[in-house]
Amino acid sequence: MEIVGDQVLFTGRFARNIFRGGFEWGEFIRQCFIVGYLSVGLVGITGFIIGLVMTLQTQPTLKDFGAESYVPGMVSISIIREIGPVIIALICAGKIASSIGAELGSMKVTEQIDAMEVSAANPVQYLVVTRILACTIMVPLLTIMADGLAMLGGWVGVNIQDHVSATLFFKKSFKALEFSDVVPSVIKTFFFGYAIGFVGCYKGYHSARGTESVGKAANSAVVSASLWIILIDAIAVQITNLIYY
Amino acid sequence: MDDTLVQDKKTETTTDDEVVIRIEHLKKSFGDNEVLKDINLELHRGENIVVLGRSGQGKSVTIQCIAGLLEPDEGVLEVLGKEVKALSPDELRELRMKIGFLFQSGALYDSMTVRENLAFPLTRVLKIKDEAEIEKRVKEVLESVGLEDAIDKLPSDLSGGMRKRVGLARTLILRPEIMLYDEPTTGLDPITSREISELIIKLQEKYETSSIIITHDMNCARIVADRIVVMNDGEYIATGTYDELANSPDELINNFFK
Repeated sequence: MEIVGDQVLFTGRFARNIFRGGFEWGEFIRQCFIVGYLSVGLVGITGFIIGLVMTLQTQPTLKDFGAESYVPGMVSISIIREIGPVIIALICAGKIASSIGAELGSMKVTEQIDAMEVSAANPVQYLVVTRILACTIMVPLLTIMADGLAMLGGWVGVNIQDHVSATLFFKKSFKALEFSDVVPSVIKTFFFGYAIGFVGCYKGYHSARGTESVGKAANSAVVSASLWIILIDAIAVQITNLIYY
Repeated sequence: MDDTLVQDKKTETTTDDEVVIRIEHLKKSFGDNEVLKDINLELHRGENIVVLGRSGQGKSVTIQCIAGLLEPDEGVLEVLGKEVKALSPDELRELRMKIGFLFQSGALYDSMTVRENLAFPLTRVLKIKDEAEIEKRVKEVLESVGLEDAIDKLPSDLSGGMRKRVGLARTLILRPEIMLYDEPTTGLDPITSREISELIIKLQEKYETSSIIITHDMNCARIVADRIVVMNDGEYIATGTYDELANSPDELINNFFK
């Protein structure tokens, strides 16, 4: 209960400081660069390979049923609705939440956060608001990029054995998609991003003294963020089903 | 700076009756561990108090309470006439602008250069936007601690003594009325320790601060203290000048000066 209370208070401090004057634009852009640009390689390769592997796995089975033409639609729906957002969010949890947890944990241990506080600066505004907002904005963008590359991977996968033009593949992919496939999955990635940023910051900001706690903060940030992603996904599916089906 | 000069300068230091920090019956516990049992202390304007005590006695906890980093459980804690516990977050922030805190490690922001470390409180706390003004203040305070050449270095490129000096510069850039030093000479060689101690005196005169200095370094205590208080088992058990306590018949107190 104490942890829940702490998290609620931390959320309150975060929310209050978003609208406080003197937003840290410089630090926010730096964090967007770290969270977004520096994750492009990992997320991009992952997305491409997911699409490629999915196509290679499903194509032979569908071929047996003479349903090869459904490959693009199946790949796009499964990736955009579920696999893309969840896998990319879990990868971001491993890369970003751990890095934020370790960075803030290390700042806590070396008294840098205390130093900001006693100098009357606002560590929540500088460290927490910028990181959480950067994650909330960059994770959806990374997911959209990964989804696109996954579909490209799917097209490459199809072309390993057969020859299908890019125009035909992507036309069929997009034709299979509906509004209810795209919008809810994009919306939930904002929540994934928020969860990654929030958990990383919370664990780092509240880490205990001592170098061991830095490792613990990073580790528990990844574990908690991953659990939150799965939980948010389950809730998002329920809400989407209630609204659209 | 030789001993005579240090002593002369200390004699010149003016302390007046105005109390800048008043602590009465301060108590602080962490779970079952009662760290501060009954702390009573008054710091006068212009005065330097050194707090001595064995490790784990709550010396750092006392100054963390003063800076509002920890909330005391009981007692009176007034800083510049304001009860710290009763302050709102904004009032506490305002009070902290008048308090400087030098951390044991220096606590420099390790992703920023020395210039950025020093500019940080100017832009965030004093809201100074003029680059020329920031540059002027940064250079001035760096000159005070003798580190003008380190302006573009990262904390990782600095020695322990240099980090403390930059940490000191960063706190002084806001022109605090009160300075709290948490073991300013720990981990430094004797020569650098002496330099830091002399710097504390020099800067106190220049910026007219009142200070509480926590240290185990008796040379530092001898150089900087107007008054020394000895802490044991969560309470202050003795107070006096360096010479008075050095000649104390109490073995516990006397042990610090051996």
